[in-house]
Parts: sequence; structure tokens; C-alpha cells
Amino acid sequence: MGTQDSDLRFLMGNEAIGRGLIEAGCSVAAAYPGTPSSEVLESLVRWKKELDHPIYVEWSVNEKIAFEVAYGASLAGVRSVAIMKMVGLNVASDPFLSAAYLGVRGGLVVVVADDPGPHSSQTEQDSRFFAWFGKVPVLDPGTPAEARDMAVRAFELSEKYQVPVLLRPCLRVCHARQNVALAPPQEPKNVGAFEKNWTRWAATPKFRFVLHGELNEKLANMRKDEPESRPALISKGNGNSRAVITSGSVSSHVRDVIASDERLGSVDVYKVGIPFPADAEALQEIVDSHDETLFVEETYPVLELQLSDRRKVRGRLAGHVPPQGELIPEIVEDLILSLVGEEPAQREAPKVKPRRPSLCAGCPHRPAFFMTRKIFEDAVYTGDIGCYTLGVNMGAVDTCLCMGASIGMAGGFSRISGPDGPAGVVATVGDSTFYHAGVPALINAVHTRAPFVMMIMDNNITAMTGGQPTPAHDYLADGAPGNAVNMEKLVRGCGVDFVEVVDPYDYEALDTVLRKAKSYTFEENKGVSVVITRRACVRAPGVEVSDKKFGIGEDCDLCMSCVRDLECPAIYYVKGEKRMDIDDDSCTGCGFCVHICPVEAIQAKA
Amino acid sequence: MVEMILCGRGGQGIVFLTRQLGEIITAKGLGVLSSETHGMAVRGGSINSHLRIGPFSSSLVRQGHADFLLSLDPGETRNNIHYLKPGGLIMENSPEPDETGIRRIDAARLARELGQVQLENVVLLGFASQLDGFPVSAEEIRTQLSKHPKEAVRQMNLRALQAGLEYAA
Repeated sequence: MGTQDSDLRFLMGNEAIGRGLIEAGCSVAAAYPGTPSSEVLESLVRWKKELDHPIYVEWSVNEKIAFEVAYGASLAGVRSVAIMKMVGLNVASDPFLSAAYLGVRGGLVVVVADDPGPHSSQTEQDSRFFAWFGKVPVLDPGTPAEARDMAVRAFELSEKYQVPVLLRPCLRVCHARQNVALAPPQEPKNVGAFEKNWTRWAATPKFRFVLHGELNEKLANMRKDEPESRPALISKGNGNSRAVITSGSVSSHVRDVIASDERLGSVDVYKVGIPFPADAEALQEIVDSHDETLFVEETYPVLELQLSDRRKVRGRLAGHVPPQGELIPEIVEDLILSLVGEEPAQREAPKVKPRRPSLCAGCPHRPAFFMTRKIFEDAVYTGDIGCYTLGVNMGAVDTCLCMGASIGMAGGFSRISGPDGPAGVVATVGDSTFYHAGVPALINAVHTRAPFVMMIMDNNITAMTGGQPTPAHDYLADGAPGNAVNMEKLVRGCGVDFVEVVDPYDYEALDTVLRKAKSYTFEENKGVSVVITRRACVRAPGVEVSDKKFGIGEDCDLCMSCVRDLECPAIYYVKGEKRMDIDDDSCTGCGFCVHICPVEAIQAKA
Repeated sequence: MVEMILCGRGGQGIVFLTRQLGEIITAKGLGVLSSETHGMAVRGGSINSHLRIGPFSSSLVRQGHADFLLSLDPGETRNNIHYLKPGGLIMENSPEPDETGIRRIDAARLARELGQVQLENVVLLGFASQLDGFPVSAEEIRTQLSKHPKEAVRQMNLRALQAGLEYAA
């Protein structure tokens, strides 16, 4: 990013959203990282520096807290934003739904990134549908440039109607890049100091009833008065019988597919900017005035469900549009061809064999997983959300549900004993995930004397999402000073007596500590034990990797244990020569493989 | 209008290349959109970027529409070849000789000779810029890479570009 205020930049959708937030005079931003949303707050940090803007930015401990921080700032009178991925909104759902009733003071925008596919998520949930459930208006951008515009617009709507407004970009907006025109940032907005009024801001159920009525009225006015609630004609067809109604990132595919094929020139295309609350009567008029109308939206039939008569509709409810998976341009093309009575496009079936992701060479999680399998053979390994979910490749992760679930689920697994029960339970969780949702679960395990071993794989960073700081750092998202929360003290404070810290590269020490934990929890029956395997992520900035290199000698009997059990991506089989080798380009010299080779064939190169 | 797929393994610098191309094209005043892979796949998994130059709204290239396939890994070429249009050109990082429709350069070896295999992406880009119809020139790439704020990185990238250009010559 350069230095001028008004120019054209090639920006990622998430950077464009960040720019829009700053341009709208946002004062407080709180987020928890998660693909595909993480770059929004990261870009705010860069815009803050580039523009010398006073915005406060933080990586909150989780999405619920991020929402509450933003909400508090809104009540204090300023424009604020909470940023998360869609499963983060599940975590933040409690304050989100309540805040819709109470309303806001300074504009409050919630940026929630959806992941149709899913590419990097647990679900394909549609945050527009969640917004409807919460009675929160939602804007659905189609391109990075539109996402920037809608970030500004979301604040205007939020203040006009005094409701939180959700901005829902899909991955194809978040991680698309486009040349985007920038405007100079406005001064931070302030609607005036907080005035105490408990019937509003601490409303009891009696007043909630009144507030619910007010919310319904706000939504009705918005549906009637805001142009984006009505379908806008974006492409006028030369026929009158077929229409497409679309919304969000998939609307861009619709636009390009229509423009690229003259057979589709007869179709009228409408786009809805605010899919909830949409002007249902205007939608129905389009449906009624065409022979057939195709709805193309992701991932739920939000617009379709707002119609009263769907008899002339092609969409998800009648089974025309696939009920799961991303609506890629090829699918959109075939849907529109089918609408005008043409055959689907001829395409050769792609022969794709995607390479699976792995923990990096030198990743400190790898030895931790290897040793877990060695010491706790046949145990159930409850896993969690992060890079270390890739422990599945090593057979060291048996479950993955949601943030922090490794610990709660370990509690449940450990209740089943006898021949059908697991031979021990080991929970593995990363440092950032532990802070996010693991702490209450650990307190629960201590209190209930749940017998399992918990391993916190502490690489001192939120690695999967690009390396954001955790509460263990003494600085905040933009480098401002913060207080470091000490993990050992926190674990002890939860009531855990067995807490050991070990360097996972240290084979002997790791072996010893895990055996001690095993004895404490499973033999002496003293309850949960916590082992913190601590070493910095090999990809973290400033982490020096060893320049030691290793080779595989003639003693190798091709047992494949280094590939199967250690799963290091630097070690590979040389086809044709029937031997193993280590790729010097990817090896980071951790040397752990030397210990695990049964015939000691792996050795340091001189 | 030019459409392109860039592919490779996570960590090979596909996103970096895509961004350089997009910034060069933005500076030329043309419409440009790209789409890139983030998240779990970047841990060594299959990665691709889509790049579309022209008056588009969508960031995704449809199957059979790409003019170019720029590949840092021959295994990934196979995973993305369905995007290439008939007569489209593959530019691949590989020690193998050229074939009809495939121009190759051993960018990994050239980058290793420069001291850093990570430079293979820029070597391949330099090579690609010399092929017919490629949407950016060597000079434009040089100007773009010269903007990098770190002197050491800038110098290495420019040397990698030069290595790709010399191989093509």
C-alpha cells in the first residue's frame, strides 16, 4: 500500500473492507482471526499506520468478546466494528441477538466472512440467514470494491436505524483482489457521551417486549425505505420471460457468465444488496412478471424464502440449485443455460488429485504428536481447531468439532470405562485456541475430576490464520503495549496441579514428561494433567531455523516409519532408486527424525 | 482480456506472483481481479490463483477459459490443466524439455544457484514475460520488484528476474 489518500489500489477484499471501515470514521475494531476474515483487522493495522489514524484495534480472546468490545464502544458513542468468520458468529451469537433488541448508539458493524465450499471451515452456514434469525440487517457485497462501499454504508444504516448491521462477504470477496478506488478517511464519528438509562441498556423482559416491537418497526421501515432492499436491475435482457435474482459474491459470476454468452442475452438480471430485510413484494413482482425466475445466492435460500408464491421459481427449495458446495462459475453457467432451455456446457471432467496439506517441516507439533502416539498407544486423541488439526495425517487426532472442544469432549470420553471405553484420553489444543475457548472447559475438567491428559501445543502464535499474537504476548495487534498472560499461571489458576513445560524438539525430555503425565492421570488417578509443549512456530517472523542438514544412510530398510509415523514433508521416497532421501530445501534441521528411525539410518551430514 | 491460472504448492510464492501481476496491471490502468488460496491449504497443499484482466466482475476463471497456466510444480499443472483453453500456453517450472503448448524452465535449479530456492517464482515470472502474448513486460516487472522496501529482498528478486530473462533469451 502506498501513501496517497485518493487513488486506485490492487486490494484484497478484506483490505478493501478495512479501508471502508477507516474511511467511515471507525474508532474501535475488535476481531478474532479465522479464514477467510483474518486480513480485515491486519489491514486496519496497516491503514492505521499509513494514514496516522487514531483507530483502536485489538485481537480479542474470542469472537464473543470482540463483539462485546465493539458493542461497548458503540454505546459509548463511537463507530465500532467486530470482525470474525461465520463460525465465530456462533460463538458471538448470545450478545449478537441481544444487541439487536437493545440497539446501538455509535454505528456498529459486524463483519462476518462466509466460506461456501467449505474451503477452510467446519460448516457452510449462511450468515445472512443468521442475521435474519437475529433480526439484524445484512449487506452482501459482490466484489472487493463493493465491499469497501458497503462497509461505509453499513455504518450509515446502523446509525440511522440504531441497529447493528452485518456485512457478509464470502471467501470469493475476502480473498479476491481488485483495483479499488479509495476516498479520504472521514474524521472519527461520535454521537455523544453515554447517558444512563437502564430500561434501555439493561432492559428486563418487560422492556424487552417493547424493544422487540421497536426492532420490528425499524426492519419494516428499512425494507420500505432503503434502495438496497429492493432488487436492482443490473442487466436488462432483450426478452421478457426469464429473470435471475442474485446476491453477494456469486452475483459477480452471474454478471460475467451473462456477458460472455449471447444466448443468455434475453435474461433480466437483478441483484439485491440487502438480502435481509429484503423488499419481498418487489421480489414477488419480478417472479410474477416473468415465466421463470432463477435464484442464485449462497449458501441458503434467503431471498427465495421471503417470497409468498414460489411456483415460478427455480432455486434451492425446488432442487434446481445444489443444496451444498460453492456455486462456482461453471455451476452458475449451467444453471442459467438451463433457465433459457440450453444444454449444459461441455467440459472435460477435471482429473484433480490435490496434494494434502501437512504440518511444515520442523513444525514443533510434529514431535509432540509423534510422542503422544508412542506413549499413549491406543488412546483416543481429541483434537482441536488450528494447524494441529493436521495431526490427523499422523493418526494423532481422532476428533475435531469446534474451538476448544478437545477439552470438553475429553471429559465425556473419559467417563466411559470398561472394555468398550477408550484406553485413555489425550486432548491436544493450541495456545490461541486454549485462550479462546479452552479455559472454561479446563475448569470443568478439574472440577469434575475428569481423567485425561491435556497437551497445549504452544507455538506462541495463532499460526493457521497467518501469525496473529495471542494473550501471551506483551503487545497488541498494532504493536501497542499489552500485558502478557502467563499460560502456566493460568493453567494452575484453573486448579491443575500437574503442569509441565517441555521443548518438543527434546526427545528425551518429551518422553519423560509424557510418561509422568500418564502415570499421574491414569495410574495414580489424580485427574487432569497438563503438558505444555513449547517452541515457536518455524514460520513465525524472526524465528531462526537450524542450518544442520541430515541424510539417510545405507542401513535404511525402507520401513517407511519416517513417512508414516513422523510424516515429515522433507523426507521422501526416491522412485526408481528404491531409497529414501531428505529434501535440503524444505528441511529446517530440527533433527527429530534422527531419534525415530528404528535402524538409526538418519544422520546429520558433516 | 487475458485470463490466467497460477499454481504450485503452499509456500512457493503463488500469492506473491499474483499480487505483483495485479499491481502492475493496476498501474497500467486496466481492470484486474484475482482470487487466491489461504488457510489450511497453504501448509504445503495444492494452491492456485486466478487472474483476470479486463472488464470482469468475478475473480474466478472458468474451465477452458485460461490463456496461460503458470505452474511452479508439474504435479500441480495436472491439477489445473482443465482451466486452460484450447491453444492456451503452459509455462512450467521443470527440468524437462519443452513440448507443444508447454514452455519449461528449471526455475528451482536457477533459484538454488542464486542461493535461495524460494526465488523460483520470480525466475519463472521473468521467463514467462518473454513469451508471446504475456500481459506484462520484463521492464514492468522490474519496476514493480524495485518497489520492495527491503534492499536485500529487492536485489535478490531482481537477480531472479534476470536469471529467468537470460534463460528465455
